[in-house]
Parts: sequence; structure tokens; C-alpha cells
Amino acid sequence: MPSDSQVPFRWPSDWADPALLRLIEGSPINCVVLEGSAEGAVADAARKAGLTVLAADALKSAPLAEIKWDSPSPRIAISGLVWPRIKMSSASPRSADAGPTGAPWIDSNCWVARLARVRAPGKPIWLDFQKGKDDPILTAASYRVAIADSAASGARWIVSLDDDLSKGLARGDGDSLKTWGSVQATLTFFQKVAAWNFWEPWGTLGVLSTFAGKDEFMGQEFLNLAARGNLLYRIMDRALPATHKTDGLRAVVYVDNEAPTAELKTKLLAFARGGGLLILPKAIAAGFPGEKPMQCPVSGYDLKSFGKGSIASAMRDWEDPFFLAADVHDLVSRQNDPVCLFNVRTIWEHYAVAPDAKSSVLQLVAFTSRTNGLVSVAVKQPSRGATMYAPEFDAPKTLQPVIVEGRTEYHLPAFSLYAALEFKS
Amino acid sequence: MRERITRRDLFANAGWTALGAGLLARPAGAVPAPASPVALARCESYGAELLPALTKMFDQIGGLSRLAKNKTVAIKVNLTGGAQVRLGYIPIGFTIWTHPAVIAATMHLLGRAGAKRIRLLESPWSSASPLQEHMAAAGWDISAFTSAAPNVEFENTNFLGYGKNYSRFPVPKGGHLFPAFDLNHSYEDCDTFVSIGKMKEHMTAGVTLSMKNCFGITPCTIYGDGAPESEPGLVPRGGRYPIHTGYRAIAKSSPQEIDPKSPRQGGYRVPRCVADLVAARPIHLAIIDGIESQAGGEIQGRYVKHVTPHVLVAGTNPVCVDAVGVAVMGFDPMADRGTAPFERCDSTLRLAEDLGVGTRDLKRIEVVGARIAEVMFDYRKATGPIDPRQLPPSDRPGPRRFPDGGPG
Repeated sequence: MPSDSQVPFRWPSDWADPALLRLIEGSPINCVVLEGSAEGAVADAARKAGLTVLAADALKSAPLAEIKWDSPSPRIAISGLVWPRIKMSSASPRSADAGPTGAPWIDSNCWVARLARVRAPGKPIWLDFQKGKDDPILTAASYRVAIADSAASGARWIVSLDDDLSKGLARGDGDSLKTWGSVQATLTFFQKVAAWNFWEPWGTLGVLSTFAGKDEFMGQEFLNLAARGNLLYRIMDRALPATHKTDGLRAVVYVDNEAPTAELKTKLLAFARGGGLLILPKAIAAGFPGEKPMQCPVSGYDLKSFGKGSIASAMRDWEDPFFLAADVHDLVSRQNDPVCLFNVRTIWEHYAVAPDAKSSVLQLVAFTSRTNGLVSVAVKQPSRGATMYAPEFDAPKTLQPVIVEGRTEYHLPAFSLYAALEFKS
Repeated sequence: MRERITRRDLFANAGWTALGAGLLARPAGAVPAPASPVALARCESYGAELLPALTKMFDQIGGLSRLAKNKTVAIKVNLTGGAQVRLGYIPIGFTIWTHPAVIAATMHLLGRAGAKRIRLLESPWSSASPLQEHMAAAGWDISAFTSAAPNVEFENTNFLGYGKNYSRFPVPKGGHLFPAFDLNHSYEDCDTFVSIGKMKEHMTAGVTLSMKNCFGITPCTIYGDGAPESEPGLVPRGGRYPIHTGYRAIAKSSPQEIDPKSPRQGGYRVPRCVADLVAARPIHLAIIDGIESQAGGEIQGRYVKHVTPHVLVAGTNPVCVDAVGVAVMGFDPMADRGTAPFERCDSTLRLAEDLGVGTRDLKRIEVVGARIAEVMFDYRKATGPIDPRQLPPSDRPGPRRFPDGGPG
């Protein structure tokens, strides 16, 4: 079975009875990952059932910084990840931790998956995370969020059960079977829309960094925090010239303090000269002098015109990625956001365009199980209509555009953990 | 005292006299608070009829030339809370924010009257981002403002902003809660100060109109939950609960509250703070956008309802303007604590009147244009009876968090 159609499941180590394979019969799971050897009674029965069997060690899961991107492995498996969720306050399990703006803090692996897709184009990205010992009790919603957060980023989660669920399922406990049913239904849903995994993430900002070494913290945290602010971006890895595409971008932020190569610098200057906004750290600003001073709406930046575009140079070293992400969103301006969401608080957006550029999809991952009612989506590009998908819908719903104050909006019916809008241009 | 006024009261000439009974006694020999004419107009929508309506209203109160010609005009708009929070699917300008068309039309008319610079001001929730970004996050087209008049500027006044220092504004007569305020430079660097409020009820202050709009001129770097103890913070964090509840002192570098032993209740403190602010930073032109709004309070909740009063109020004295606004909403502007809309708070109108800002007595206010009875829109009827047990506790000590931004 080709690795890009594999739906992996980490077989619980205490499930010795091959009869438990009945739990994945009829589900999208078609690949079992066994701890230790890929041999034995369970492995044999799984193969007989037509499943792919892999030994966990053979996946060579590693933290992002240790991944061998040029490995011949048919997939990239990343470990050292978080369980996607709203992070609850350690002081009170009933209240959420907050970031500097007071918005609840959300753990997500989406930026890791996005970066991996850039570094290993075309390869399936498997996210290998399990419940940590200090993580809160997992619910059905926890599993569904884990699947949705991974899938919306174009990756797959290696479905991994916590002890309570694996033991409950083994003894046929009703609540556990119900949770397992919802996990399977969510996997089935994402299997039906798996084509979106290969659509190109889209945004008006290009984020240029090595995301490694001394640039790891600022580069990676920028990706994390930009996603948190629903600033849609495309990743440009300095080490990979093929990712240095500026078409369709409004701005590029060059995160690293090391000057670009002459070739990259020429490309960046051409981007600015052609009408783009180039955002630079203080360390390399002198190499990009710009032309006429302009009024900069964001304090701490020196803005100069350059051809049809402009160059914004930081006047101080960047130290805090939170403020950098906020500054960059202000510099790019929310007026240029391709999508604007209303009545969302803990929803992260993912926007991608089909290879033929005739369709696009906006995926919304909510991190709470409460119903998201009355969500509005305003889109910059006019569209004829949208099709809305959600795991709980019996069938996709057709949404008609509504013109609100001159803009195209879609008013979404209620959904819970995940929804997607597919637009046809 | 009666709780409500009716159209019948308003049609009856004796109505206000009867309702005025019971107001606080003014010291014998005190100078009456000033009165100015208030223009009142019915306006069906934010469309084509808005500009002519505002033009006529400004003419009715003496024209804009004296306020605008060759002057820098600062406009405080009401963009409270989170930009991406809507009541249902309704854009925020139709519910809790001043509608962009009212802002742009006012700017256009000020520009036409000769304003040399117009600066839009607001203190967005917990953010040091440019004000334009707060507007853009709501889906607003910024060019509607930049093209409305020459030399348009924006400033986020929730922190130092483009200034080098905060400007200090002493409160005449000493103030109720604070003796003086430290504010963003834009509130000093202007010749004319305009407040454009929204016609709304308010959980803590009863109503929020042109005066309560100015609660948001206080920078949260000094008056906010996240302000450092001794000096202003660099960026604003949190809401203004040090003012709301007094659970902590404001940054020590600024004038502290007059009586630290005064009640720690929002219903006592917020109206006093607002009265102090409008006395310290006088409003030269007060406008209330009541074309569309929401009844039942400023924060989303089960009792909040979109309403369409179709009314605009404008004048040069904010107390007079708010008195007319309160009456249009179906309340008695002479009412005070215990009587709607001030069931759980003191009246900002009375407190501002006590500071000599203006009169709330409709008998002394010339209302031009429409009559109050003709445009009255009963806010309480719109929402129906409210079970107070369902209301969030407004006076709880300590900081509070609201979804996507709290009360201004």
C-alpha cells in the first residue's frame, strides 16, 4: 500500500490478543505500528487482514531538529510533539492559560507539520505523539482534535490510545467503544477529504528562515505564534531555494540575523521593487537601504519605499517572537488577510489552494468541544459559493455567499471541533 | 420615583417636571451647569440619508466651522472589546461599535469645515497595534476614513503611542475619583475634541453614550490590569479593572485615586471616573450613533438584542447630549441610583453635572430637529424583562476576563 494512503495506528503494547483486530475492522486504519518487532501473532493476523504492519523503530521517529530530511524512508515521522489542546491553567484545571493578549493558549503541531512538508515535499508526514503523563484526561474530543489538528496541516497522526482507552476497549467497555467510534468516524471523514493534504498552503506572508541552529527558536516560534494569530503564511526555507517563491505574496519577513546569499538578496529586492513589503531584522537592514522614508504605522520599524514596494527594517533586535508575529501582522495589515473570521476564539485557520488553482479550502480547527455557532467567514476573493464539510454533517452543505458591507461572507451553521469550506473560483 | 418614562409623559408638557422631583439638591447659590442645544434626528440607515442628516444637525447646533476651521480635531470613537466579536452574524458597526459611516461622514464634514488635521483615536483591547489594524480586523475598509478628509491620522491611545510623554489632565473642582489623569498625547495635541458614542445600555454604568465613550481614553499601560506597579507599561495588557473595582492601584507614577477607602464597586467608581474624565478632557462635539445598536448591555449575553432606533443625537455639551440620548432610550435623565437605567450604579450624568460640565435637565436643554417623543425607542421593551440573577456580577473584586475583550 502506498505510504501516502496509510492511516497508522499504534497497537497498544498490552493488546496481545489478535482478536482485538476486530476493533479496527471496517475503519480507515490500514496500518498498525507495533512496539518492538513487526512479527508475532498480532502481526501475522494483521497482515492476513490486509493491513500494513510496521515496527515502531522502523519509523525512525525523531524530534524535528533530528530528522534526516534526505532519508530514503517513504515517510517522515516526527516525535517530541504536544497533544493539541487548549492549555489549561496549572492553577485551576477549569480555566485556560492565556497568552499576553489574554487569549487562551493553544498547543498545536500545525507549524511542525507545515515545516516538514516544505522540507520533505511529497512525503507523508506522520506525527507521533501520545498522552504525556502530565496531560489532562483524554476525552473523545481530545482524540478528534488530535486527528483534526494533524490533518488540517496536511499530516497524519499515528493514532495512539492512552491506557484508559486501550484497557477499556480490550474489555469491551461501552464508553470506551463510544469514544473509539467517534475516533473512527473522524478518521473516516478525513480520509474522504485526504486530497486536501496535498494542496498548497496559502497566505499573503512568506516566512524566510533556516528554522534551525541559532535561528531555530525565533523562526519556529514565529510560525507557531503567527498561526495562533491566524496570520496565514507560506514557509520559505533559506536552505531550500525551491521554496523561495514570492508569487502572490504581499510581504516577506526575513527572520534570521545572517545576511542572505547574493542570489536570495537579489530575489528579495526584486520582490520589494515589484510592489512587495520586505520586513528585515536590524542585523541585516544596512544591506537593504531602501529609498524614501515613509510613515510607518508600527513603532520600532524604519519604513522606506523601494520601487513599487517598501522595506521595513527593525530598529531594535527581535527578542520576543510574540511581538515579532504581532508586528509583522500589523505591517502586512489585516486588510490583506485572505480570510477574516468572526465569533471565533479558539479556532485556528488553514488555507490551501488546489494544484489547478481553481479551488481552495479553508479548514477551521476548534480546540473545544463546545458548539461553534454563528461563525462568519469573510473572504477576500469573490467566490460563487462554498461547500461546508464537518465530521458531524451527514452530507456537505452548500453555502450561499452573503454580501456584507461590500464583502463576500459566509455565515456558517453550527459545528463543533472542525469544519472546512471549499471554494470554487 | 417612577422608573420609566413613556411617550405620554413626553407629550405631556408636565412630564419632565414630575420626573425631576427627587434629584439631588443643588447647593443654594451654585452656578447652574451650562446648557447647549442638542440636535436630534431620525435617520433610517447608514446609507445615503446619513450625510444630509448629520449636515443638518451640525448646522442646527451652530455649524462646524468654529470647531474645525484650521484646527486639529481629535475624534474618540467607540470600538470597545474584540473586533471579531459579533452579535450573531451582524457586523459590529451595527451593534456595539460606532458605525464606520457615521465616523467617515463626521470626518468629511469636519474636513469640509476646514479642519487642518483629523486624528481618529481609540484604545483597542489589550493591544499596542495601530488603530487601523483594530478596524481592519473588523473587516473595515481603512480607505473610507483616509479619503473622508485631508490629513487623516490614527492613533491607538491605549499606550504612549507616537508621543514621548503622557499628558496630564487635572480634573476641575478636584474630581470625584481621581484628581487628574495621564493620557496619550493626542488628547492634548488637539484643538477640538469629538466623542462619537453608540447608544447602548451598560452593565456597570447604566448607559454608554458620548461620555462613557471616554472611559476608553485611559491608557491601560497605567490604568489596566497589566500595568506595572510603579510606572507605565510599554504595552497595554488586560482591561481597566483597577478602575472598575479598585482591586489594585494604578501605576504609581500617575495621580492616585482621591480616597482609596471609597467603595470598591464598579457602579460607584466607573460613573465617577467618566465624569472626572469629561471634566478634565472637555468634549467639544458629542455625537451618539443610535441608528442601529444593541439593547441589553455592551457584552454579549442571552438578553442582548440587535435594535434599530434609527436616531442620531449631536451637540456641543456631552451632558446635554447624553441626557437627550437617555430620554430617547426611554429612561429619565434625572434618574439616579436605584432607578432605570441606573439600577446598580450612580448616574454619570448627575456626577458630570455636579462637576459643572453640563445640565441633564431637559427643561433647560433646547432640543432641535426631531422631538424626543417622535424618535423615542424603549430599550427595555426591546429586551423584555431581565432576570438580574442571569447578569454577570459586575462588581466582583479582582481582574476579570471577557471573551475577546471586556467592557471599555
